[in-house]
Amino acid sequence: MGSPAASWLSHVRRTPLLLFLMLYTVISGGPFLWVATMSLRTTPEIFAAPYALPSRIHWEKFVEAWTKSNYSTYFWNSVLVVVTAVVLLTVLGAMVAHCLARYRFRGSRAVRFVILSGMVLPPQLMILSLFQILLEYGLYNTLTGLIVVYIAGHLAMTVYILEGFFAQIPQDLFDAARMDGYSDFEIFWRITLPIGVPALFTTVTLNFIILWNEFLYAVVLLTEDDKRTLPLGIMHFMGSHQLDVGMLATGLMITIAPIILLYAFFSETMIKGMTAGAVR
Amino acid sequence: MAVVQIDKLTKRYDGGAEPAVWEVSLTVANGEFMVLLGPSGCGKSSVLRMIAGLEPITSGTVSIDGRVVNRVPAKDRDIAMVFQSYALYPHMTVYQNLAFGLRRRRVPPAEIERRVKGAAERLGLSAFLARKPHALSGGQRQRVALGRAIVRDPKVFLFDEPLSNLDAALRVSTRNELIKQQNEIGITTIYVTHDQVEAMTMGHRICIMDKGEVIQVGHPLEVYGNPANTFVARFLGNPPMNLMTVELETVDGRLCGRVAGTSIGLGDNVGGLGNGLILGIRPEDLYEVPAPAGLGPMAEIAVRVIAVEPLGAETLLVLSGAGGAEEFIARVGRQTRLKPGDRTTIALDTARIHLFDAATTKAIPHGRPGAS
Repeated sequence: MGSPAASWLSHVRRTPLLLFLMLYTVISGGPFLWVATMSLRTTPEIFAAPYALPSRIHWEKFVEAWTKSNYSTYFWNSVLVVVTAVVLLTVLGAMVAHCLARYRFRGSRAVRFVILSGMVLPPQLMILSLFQILLEYGLYNTLTGLIVVYIAGHLAMTVYILEGFFAQIPQDLFDAARMDGYSDFEIFWRITLPIGVPALFTTVTLNFIILWNEFLYAVVLLTEDDKRTLPLGIMHFMGSHQLDVGMLATGLMITIAPIILLYAFFSETMIKGMTAGAVR
Repeated sequence: MAVVQIDKLTKRYDGGAEPAVWEVSLTVANGEFMVLLGPSGCGKSSVLRMIAGLEPITSGTVSIDGRVVNRVPAKDRDIAMVFQSYALYPHMTVYQNLAFGLRRRRVPPAEIERRVKGAAERLGLSAFLARKPHALSGGQRQRVALGRAIVRDPKVFLFDEPLSNLDAALRVSTRNELIKQQNEIGITTIYVTHDQVEAMTMGHRICIMDKGEVIQVGHPLEVYGNPANTFVARFLGNPPMNLMTVELETVDGRLCGRVAGTSIGLGDNVGGLGNGLILGIRPEDLYEVPAPAGLGPMAEIAVRVIAVEPLGAETLLVLSGAGGAEEFIARVGRQTRLKPGDRTTIALDTARIHLFDAATTKAIPHGRPGAS
């Protein structure tokens, strides 16, 4: 075991995979690093040498974006919309998932089908209908309207992930709680939710990342500058005759940074939640 | 303590062609340990869940101390249940698991602490109260599940195959612990299992079920010694009872049956033979010749040894009689020198034979048989 020839052979076998992974890392990580460096350089510096590293780090660009380009407004709009949507998605999704996983009632299959079929339809297909509906109900160009759309659009995925996890919780736990005298809601609150924390973490993280970066619904359903979310903020730097690349990059970094931090802290928990119960 | 009465209990599941439980009637006396025994899918767990109130009843009644509880919610039946999977809440400590049911019933905190610590001490769990279930062994988890039932101080205990997830050695020690606890506490207990050793050693009475119906109820040794039909005869006993077809004949004016080439007297007053006959004999009632003294009249059967299975304390012989059509098993001492292929004679204790109707499989009562 472990002869030099065998060891060399295993290295040779792994080389194509390593090369592929390095290439993939460069392709996926490269643009991000490029934007990060551009965010610290001025636009003239970028046009002079697009791929150079910063000769001087311009931290003031972030202050300018935050204070003079309305990014603080966009940031807090995003926080309000995304946090509200994620909280409501989690609460509603968990309740729906618990019912679908635990109870057998007339029409449960139809309800499950209707809810989960929402994942099949692409957002582009629904955007016009949603525009009409929000206009009719006076929710067009409001953060409330956007929150409602986000919840409706992502409830299916949330229910899908949580139902799979909740269904694996042994029925005996619920029977024992019933015999102890707990009501259905108390069982949901005291048993399902605490045990389902890994899956809840997963859906919170996933929903946060997706909604924080969401652009299509936001650009169609919000028109006023004061209502814009961060992904729309970059449009601030895009005129009909000019493109402030440097500030664009700075704006992108402000948008990306919270997601990077979130993923850095919670990715392991998220992956555990997605794979929990896959193997007994 | 309480009397549990089940009267014609029936359960049909949606989409099921046959009822899962069919007109089960049973009375469990005050303080009695009743074991529901049967193969997987026979309906014993369904019966238990209907008693617990976890499963709606299709028809029939469940009464506790004379009060029909069909429509009484599970939480109000004053029943505690120990589940096969222990059903311990993984996010709670042992203390919290034990206290969970009491908190819901708004028992004062001081009383909760008294009961929890009392149960923990009784079950040897005092050192583990701050641990969570994942940090406990299988036997410890089982004791926590039992403790959670004990602290409730219920009228009835229900056990749903609580030992099936334990290894063999732990099963033996936990079984003895359960017997000890039940004897000390004296609560009416209904225990579901498919393990005949648990049934024989734990129950005051056993109730054998098959295909949703009660086949036989009685003291374990009484059921073992007088099985009601061939199913009970084969289900109890390891190895199971040998069942052999019988050719009826008359020898010297006496009714006899030819089994494995040997004619055996079937005794007096054997009725209902129109449908054919099956003879049952337990492996431990077959002996190497010469048989020990003090037994009933013996019939000697010429056999050929098919296989020898030494188990250490005893040996199982797989045998075939004349013609080799039917094989049967004898349990003999470990000192046997028989080998596969040997031809020998086996003694059958005719006082221990059982007769069954070949069509209905039910036991046929008979007088003292004997060798012809």
